[in-house]
Amino acid sequence: MLDRIRRPWSDRRAELVLGAAACLLAIGIVTMIVFVVRGAWPTFSHDGFSWLGSHGSVDSRIGAMQNTSANPAASAYQIGIWPLIYGTLLSAGLAVALALAVALAASIFIVDFAPPAVRRTMTPVIRLLAAVPSVLYGLIGVLLLVPFTNHLVTQQQKASVAYVIQLSGGGVAVVVLLLAVMITPIMTALITDALESVPRPWREGAIALGLNPLRATLAVSVRAIRPAIVGAVGLATARAIGEAIVVSMASGGASFSPNPTDGVVFWFEPFETAASTIVRNADGLSAPVLHSTLYAIAALLLFSSFMLSLAAYLVKLPLRRYQVSN
Amino acid sequence: MRRPRRLLAFAIAAAVLAITVPVAFAAQIITLSGATASFPLLEQLTAKYATLQHNKIRFSVSQGGASVGIADVGAGKVDIGDSSRGPQAGDPPNLYFYPIAKYFVCVVTNKSNPIANLTESQVQQIFEGKVRNWSQVSGSSLSTTIDVQSRTSVAGVLTTFQNTLLGGGKVASPPATAWASEGLEQQAVEKDPNAIGFLSDYFAVNNKLNAVAYNGTACSVANAVNETYPGWSFFYEVTKGPKSGTEGKFINWIQTSKPAKKIIETNWIPLTITKPVSG
Repeated sequence: MLDRIRRPWSDRRAELVLGAAACLLAIGIVTMIVFVVRGAWPTFSHDGFSWLGSHGSVDSRIGAMQNTSANPAASAYQIGIWPLIYGTLLSAGLAVALALAVALAASIFIVDFAPPAVRRTMTPVIRLLAAVPSVLYGLIGVLLLVPFTNHLVTQQQKASVAYVIQLSGGGVAVVVLLLAVMITPIMTALITDALESVPRPWREGAIALGLNPLRATLAVSVRAIRPAIVGAVGLATARAIGEAIVVSMASGGASFSPNPTDGVVFWFEPFETAASTIVRNADGLSAPVLHSTLYAIAALLLFSSFMLSLAAYLVKLPLRRYQVSN
Repeated sequence: MRRPRRLLAFAIAAAVLAITVPVAFAAQIITLSGATASFPLLEQLTAKYATLQHNKIRFSVSQGGASVGIADVGAGKVDIGDSSRGPQAGDPPNLYFYPIAKYFVCVVTNKSNPIANLTESQVQQIFEGKVRNWSQVSGSSLSTTIDVQSRTSVAGVLTTFQNTLLGGGKVASPPATAWASEGLEQQAVEKDPNAIGFLSDYFAVNNKLNAVAYNGTACSVANAVNETYPGWSFFYEVTKGPKSGTEGKFINWIQTSKPAKKIIETNWIPLTITKPVSG
C-alpha cells in the first residue's frame, strides 16, 4: 500500500488532487461569505444601510442590544457605526503612511547602500519581525506605551476635554505607532524583494549618465517597482484594518471620533475600529440583536477587504510597463 | 483495484467505530447559558460534577450575559440559565432563581491615591461623568483629572455595579475607558495614579489596589457575608418551573455538597440560603 503512494502520480491523478484543493479553497470562501451575510441579515433587513451612518453613541447602543429579548422590535437594531468606520480608516491610513515611508527608506538602504554584512543580517531579522504575533504588540502597548503616553498628556489637556472624553494614554498615537511597527517589516520585506529584482544595469546606466546613487535608485529602481509598492501597501492596509487585538488593548476603549482640529490632543483621543468592536463584544454574541450587528460589521470588513484587493489591482494596471515584478 | 477497496473498508470500519463508541457510552448533556461573571465558577463546578458522576453527565456551558441565559431558559433553549442578577420585571414567566454563591464588587483606586471612603452620591457623580477632577472629591489629595476605568457593556460585573453601588445609574462611556476584561481594567488602575474603577472581589481585594469603602462600610468578605456592604449579588441558576431531574440534582449538589463549597470558597462566598427566589 505504501509503495503505491510513494510512486509518482499520474498526470490525471495529480490534476484531480490539486484541483480538489483549489475547489476546497473556493468553497471555503463562498461558505464564509454566506455564513457572515446570513448572520448579518437581520440588521440589513431592519435597518437597510442606515446603520453605517452616525447617530448616538455606539457604546450605549451595544449595551442596550445586550439586553434585548428573543423577539426584538425593529428599533432594537438601530445603531450608527460611522465612528468605527472613521476610526478604522484613520488608524490604518496613518499607520500605513508612516510605515511606507520607513519601509521604503529601509529597503533602499538594504538593497543599494548597506555593506554586505549588514544586508545579510538585516534581511532575516526583518522577515522574523514580520512574523511576530500581533498580541505581543498589544501587550507592549497596554503595559508600556499607554502608561507612558498617560504621563505625556498634561493636566490642562485632560481638563480641556474632561466632560466629553478621557485622555488616559490609549488613543490615536499609540495605536498608529503600534500598527506601523507591526506592518513595517512585511512592507520592507516585499519592497526589498522587488528592488532586488530590478536588473542591475538599469541603475548602473543611470549612474553612468551622471545621476548620484540615491537619485538613480529613486528615478529608476523605485519607479520600476511601483506595482510591488502598491501590492505591499494593499497587504499592509488589509492587516491594519483587520487588526483587532492591538487596537482593543491600546485605543482608549471608547467609540469616539477623534477630531484633527483639536491639535495635539487629537493624538491622545480614544477611538474604536470595526474589528476591535467585534472582539471586545464577542461575549455578547448570543444576544440576537448584538449577534446580527457584529456580523454586519464583519460583513463590512469582508467587503472592504475585497474592495482593497480590487483597488490595488486597478492601481497596478497602468504601472506594469516595466514588468520587473508582480 | 483490490487495494483501494481494502483501504475503503478500513475507512468505513473506522468511521462506524467512531460513531458507535461514543453513542454506547452516551452521557446525558445538561446545557447552560448566561452570565459571563459566573462563568469561571460554573466552569469549575461542572467539571467537578462530571468527574464525580464518572462522566455519565456532561455539560455544555455558554456565556452571553445574564439576560441571555434567562431568555434562553424561558424559551426552553437550555436546561439552566446562569444569572448574576435577581428576577426582574420583563423576565419570562414561571422561572425559578436558585442562588448558588455570592460575590461582591468594590470601587478601586490606585495605591498612591488611598481614598478611604466614598458615598453613594460621590460614586454616582464620578462614574456618571459629572465630577471630573479629584479636587472635587473629598478625601483625595490629588488635583488631577479623574481617569474612570470601566468594562465593556457585555460585562456582568458592570451590571451588578450599576444596579447596586451606582443605584441604577449608568457608567458614562465616553468619558470612561471600557476594558474588555477584569484583568485589563485591574492593570489600568494599577498603573495610573489618577484612575478609579470597579472590580469583582477576586480582582479588587488584594495588595495591588486600594479598595474603597462605600457609605462608610468596608468592601470586605465579612461585610458582604453579613450584607452590610450593599455591592454584593448572587450568582443564580435559573430553571423553568421548579428544579427537578438531573438539573435539580446538580443545583442541589452546588448548594449543599462539600466539594462544591470548596470550589466556591476559592474566590467567592458560599451560601446559607437555598430557597428559590420566585420569578
